[in-house]
Amino acid sequence: MSFFGFGQSADIEITLDGADTRKTADIKSEDGKKERHLLYLDGETVSGKINISLRKAGKLEHQGVKVEFIGQIELYYDRGNHHEFSSLVKELARPGELTHNTTYEFEFANVEKSFESYTGSNVRLRYFLRVTIVRRLSDIVKELELVVHTLSSYPDMNNPIKMEVGIEDCLHIEFEYNKSKYHLKDVIVGKIYFLLVRIKIKHMEIAIIKRETTGSGPHTFMENETIAKYEIMDGAPVKGESIPIRVFLAGYDLAPTMRDINKKFSVRYYLNLVLMDEEDRRYFKQQEITLWRKGEKSRKPQSASPHLPSHLVSAETGFPQGAAQNGPPFQTPAQEPSENLAQYDDPETLEQPQSHQSHAPIEGMTREEGDGEGEKDLSPESQ
Amino acid sequence: MAGVEEQEKLLEDAIGVVKVQALQMKHCLDKAKLMDALKHASTMLGELRTSLLSPKSYYELYMAITDELRHLELYLLDEFQKGRKVADLYELVQYAGNIVPRLYLLITVGIVYIKANPCLKRDLLRDMVEMCRGVQHPLRGLFLRNYLLQCTRNILPDNLEDSNTDEGTVRDSIDFILMNFAEMNKLWVRMQHQGHSRERERREREREELRILVGTNLVRLSQLESVTLDKYTKLVLPGILEQVVSCRDAIAQEYLMECIIQVFPDEFHLQTLNAFLKSCAELQSGVNIKNIIISLIDRLAAFSQRSDGVGGPGSPNQLSGIPQDIQLFDVFSDQVSTIVQTRQDMPLEDIISLQVALINLAHKCYPDRVDYVDKVLLNTHQIFQKIHTETLEYNSAVSRELSRLLKIPIDNYKNILTVLKLKHYRPLLSYFDYEGRKLLATYIVTNILDNETLVPSPEQVDAILLMITPLIQDQPDHTVEDDPEEFAEEQGLLGRLIHYFKSDVSDEQYMILSTARKHFVTGGSKRVRYTLPPIVFQAYQLAFTYKNLKSQDDMWEKKCQKIFQFCHSTITALIKVELAELPLRLFLQGALAIGDIRFDNFEIVAYEFISQAFSIYEDEISDSKAQFAAITLIIATFEQINCFGEENAEPVRNQCALYASKLLRKPDQCRGVATCSHIFWSGKSLSTEGKEMQDKNKVLDCLKKGIRIANQCMDISVQVQLYIELLNHYIYFYEKGNTAVTVQILNQVISKIKDELPNLEISEETEQIQKHFANTLDHLKNRIESPEAEGQLYDGLVL
Repeated sequence: MSFFGFGQSADIEITLDGADTRKTADIKSEDGKKERHLLYLDGETVSGKINISLRKAGKLEHQGVKVEFIGQIELYYDRGNHHEFSSLVKELARPGELTHNTTYEFEFANVEKSFESYTGSNVRLRYFLRVTIVRRLSDIVKELELVVHTLSSYPDMNNPIKMEVGIEDCLHIEFEYNKSKYHLKDVIVGKIYFLLVRIKIKHMEIAIIKRETTGSGPHTFMENETIAKYEIMDGAPVKGESIPIRVFLAGYDLAPTMRDINKKFSVRYYLNLVLMDEEDRRYFKQQEITLWRKGEKSRKPQSASPHLPSHLVSAETGFPQGAAQNGPPFQTPAQEPSENLAQYDDPETLEQPQSHQSHAPIEGMTREEGDGEGEKDLSPESQ
Repeated sequence: MAGVEEQEKLLEDAIGVVKVQALQMKHCLDKAKLMDALKHASTMLGELRTSLLSPKSYYELYMAITDELRHLELYLLDEFQKGRKVADLYELVQYAGNIVPRLYLLITVGIVYIKANPCLKRDLLRDMVEMCRGVQHPLRGLFLRNYLLQCTRNILPDNLEDSNTDEGTVRDSIDFILMNFAEMNKLWVRMQHQGHSRERERREREREELRILVGTNLVRLSQLESVTLDKYTKLVLPGILEQVVSCRDAIAQEYLMECIIQVFPDEFHLQTLNAFLKSCAELQSGVNIKNIIISLIDRLAAFSQRSDGVGGPGSPNQLSGIPQDIQLFDVFSDQVSTIVQTRQDMPLEDIISLQVALINLAHKCYPDRVDYVDKVLLNTHQIFQKIHTETLEYNSAVSRELSRLLKIPIDNYKNILTVLKLKHYRPLLSYFDYEGRKLLATYIVTNILDNETLVPSPEQVDAILLMITPLIQDQPDHTVEDDPEEFAEEQGLLGRLIHYFKSDVSDEQYMILSTARKHFVTGGSKRVRYTLPPIVFQAYQLAFTYKNLKSQDDMWEKKCQKIFQFCHSTITALIKVELAELPLRLFLQGALAIGDIRFDNFEIVAYEFISQAFSIYEDEISDSKAQFAAITLIIATFEQINCFGEENAEPVRNQCALYASKLLRKPDQCRGVATCSHIFWSGKSLSTEGKEMQDKNKVLDCLKKGIRIANQCMDISVQVQLYIELLNHYIYFYEKGNTAVTVQILNQVISKIKDELPNLEISEETEQIQKHFANTLDHLKNRIESPEAEGQLYDGLVL
């Protein structure tokens, strides 16, 4: 960093303890480039050395030297205001003069780092160390980015997501994801059971959508990003087919679900099940899942056979074939005439009105008119 | 349908992409850039996502691509032997966004994974077959699953329950294939219901092209060596049948049932007949059940023949044939009747075809059980009765099937007598129309002739003749006139048939003949000429048999007399239908036979026969040529007969001479008289005690009369011919020692001929005459030059 005036009269170097052995993690910077920084977890001590080397021989007068540990949220549309949710300061030197290169040791013991580092499209949550040599005219400042991961333990409650959805007299399906909460290296296993098919389905895919919400009230900004598109079925099934789902999450750029972080923003993930018919109409149903980060070392001893790879659909996953047979008995909603269908075809009323739930046991799916773009999205992608 | 050219273009483009990507994939593999190689593989596999290709083109594309995938597999195998972790890769390929390339890669890697870690075999197999559900498009799904089946070909666990369970057992293989089979079949059946109904024909054709893919599953099952009979009965077959029945698709059902029959061993079929046949009854109405059952029956029948029939205690060396506890025939018989009952819409000809198959089964597996065959015939009869069938039109499908059915016992037993044991055979014949009945009758007769079956009892003869009535009698429903040649041929067969009615017991034989006659005399004028003569000849032969039995049978003379009475009335029947020459000949033949046999009263009977011949000559033969032939025959016969006393011989001889001289045409008279001369020379009678009578003057009278008649001929060429013939007669008698014939007479005749000969016009006929004369003179010259000791000398002969 170069400042006008005298130029830099001293260089600051921050060396963290155990930097050689500590893990690192990638994070995107604001401009989208990937950077690699040392990785810290909640409660870990951040300690190290600070070297100040003087450029010119002589002395450096200062009003004090300090080091800060800062966690802050930056909203891109509000550049002026950074919200520091964490700020710790250690004073390294009282005002005086530096006459030779000096090394200070510092330690932030067991720092609380309750949020995970995050770079989104409208918001960024970052941690960094800042060393400041306070001077009268211009301070000499050095910052060092850190990356923080928040680890969670296995959730106590992790029910499967199971739901019967459809559009009346047109498509009824039952879908099932084995969990509602997945860790970032987890595998989504599930299946789709077709109860009624009266449309010509071309294919079916699962998309993972990240929804970032910033701000509040009328100033809420919402950004949806499709992280992954994964075709799970090719061709038209008939009534009674059961299609397996298996999506490996490890390959995608995902972060844990963040809910209402410091009242500033949220990041949520949704599984979007999309069926496309031959006229490129899309039928979809979104379902939120919770993502969490699992500690790498806290891996539980595997309860199942050591030979059984986690990535297989096994009989033990609780998805016996034709499971839908023991699902809720399906009632044909006879009293809904076709006028509703026309209504769904209207792009303005995509979401199925809530009032329908009173008659129809089927939860709404959404149907969108085709735009002919469907095929393009599905260009071959490996990884 | 896209034009052929368009298909070729599409395929060419796709193959082009495949080649490029495959090349890059291999390039990357060479540089050990596995990730890039997989990307290229995935792009290559992306070509299989097309919906534009016909099954045939898609197959070519599939072959091209899977060929390239083998490179990848080999590379991976190599890598894993070097210690790369397979599990990661198995996960890695699953990131492919499109399902079709993803699953192909999954299978390719999965196979390597299994080879590297056999202990995961069971789970991986289950995983792969389960994941393939994601492709619901029929064509793409079928090929994907075919790839799975191909790849797993050599690694399916094939060992019994108690071995290493992690690697899986044959039970897992069965589950795996059955599941794959069920899914493929569903996809295959689904093709039928997609697209426009006007393209149905094309769809069905395409389905035909693809059926082998589905059938391969069954082939795999049959290749599992650990599938024991028990497993087949409890797991494999029920699994397959359930799918076949529930898919409710005629094309699939027909093909798959046939497949089951063909791919699994006979021993299995034998033990699961009931299950299999029950399922047959449940198939769609469009299914040609007949073919399925026939195919099964044929297979088992062939098996039983290979293994030397049904196992019996008496055949220790035989292979493991049809076990005795399996009532093969009963099972089939019951199930077939169930099927016939449940499937009301089954065409009659198919029902009959089934009976044909049953009868074949009975024949091949139980060659001794005539009752089985009869049971089938009874069933068939009942079927006809139930639907009140009247008459089956000739060459209709049903008629053809029924005649096939009825020919089988004939062909197989090669013995009509066995066929006669079938009580329900004859009633079935009556369902045919005239043509049909006749055809079968001819078939029966031909069979008897070909196999030289002797029919030894009158009852059997009666039965056979009843079966073949259409040949014997006019039929009420016979309307179209027969082709004369064909008719003659048929009747000729009957004539030959009679010679096979033969009993070793002579009395029986007589009964046989009278039974036969009873039938044949009803045949009408057109037929009896063919059928009665053989009977007469058979009767004559029987009479000779009795003669040989003289010493054993006191009654033989009476019996012979009866036989000749029988013959007499039979021949008379022929006269009644206005035949002349035939009865004449038969009477003459009879007279000869009587002369030989010489039973009691023989002279009277023989005289009766001869006189009958004469009266036929008088009453029935008016044509001059026929008369000449007949009288020549009578004379010749009489010359041979030696059983008459002079009292009877005299009038016959005179009658012969009289009739000969009364012939209409002069040349005939001349020749007749000349012939007649011989009965006065070499004729024998009781009074001469078997010696020739040699009445030289009568001979000379006859010959002289001949010369006289010849003189009266106007045509010189005929006249000379007659002279030469007469000269020959003279020479004959001269050499035989008739002293009334002198050298002077010979000289007279020769000079007469010599005088006339030059007057003949030159023609072919003349040449012949000259030749005849020259030959005659040559003979005489020979005799003069080298006289034989006992012969007459030709002293003073002028040549």
